[in-house]
Amino acid sequence: MTFDDAVKKSIKQFLKGKLLKDTAALKPDGVFFTPEYFDELEEELLDEKTDSTIEKEEELEDEA
Amino acid sequence: MRLNAPIPGANYLSDTRNYAWHRPPDIVDYDEAVSYLIDKIDEPEKKELVFAMLGIDAHITTIVTTILLQAVSKGKIGIDLAILCAGPLARYIEISAKDVDIKYEMGIEDKDRVAITPTLLKISLGMSIDSPEEQEIDGTIEKTMVQEAANRGLMSMPEPSDMVASPEEQAAMLGEVTEEEPEDELS
Repeated sequence: MTFDDAVKKSIKQFLKGKLLKDTAALKPDGVFFTPEYFDELEEELLDEKTDSTIEKEEELEDEA
Repeated sequence: MRLNAPIPGANYLSDTRNYAWHRPPDIVDYDEAVSYLIDKIDEPEKKELVFAMLGIDAHITTIVTTILLQAVSKGKIGIDLAILCAGPLARYIEISAKDVDIKYEMGIEDKDRVAITPTLLKISLGMSIDSPEEQEIDGTIEKTMVQEAANRGLMSMPEPSDMVASPEEQAAMLGEVTEEEPEDELS
């Protein structure tokens, strides 16, 4: 696997919402730059809901 | 003959201690590394470069790879941490591109992937590809044979008409071939 392939794989995993569990476990407060952080940042900057936020809201509605 | 290659043992003589990536990296913390890389992108010159690259249809993955390799070569972050930082960095560039309405492509989709089809498989295995007409004819013959077999049974006795050869065939088998009389060329 080349560096490019590794970068692509890493980006794919991050966009799927998967976070580094082991890295996060090392820090007591957890990591700051999570996929959720970037979703919130996007909402703030663009004033529109992200796809993941819409999905989460739909899931909550279905549960209710 | 001159070879364009280092002489044997050159690696023992060269001083590689000054390469940044041979020393421990400056940043080893994930959040610190992402913060450093985001700050780097936010620099006006870098931002211009990133948007210019997006303008020439460069994928975000390409831009991220370039930025990460730069940071690794400067000794700021290690190569494994660089891979971990790729996701947040790509997401940040994506948000920035959306913010200024620049068309972008992430570059993680496998658009160049060729779908495996029976035809492709046949070509790769060196098998001949039948044209649709040939396939249709083959299918019809096969269907007829199956139909006949179903009607009569596979082990059933063949019909007498199938067993008896025509008189011409019998004559040919017995060597009674009627030779055609040569035509008189002169007449």
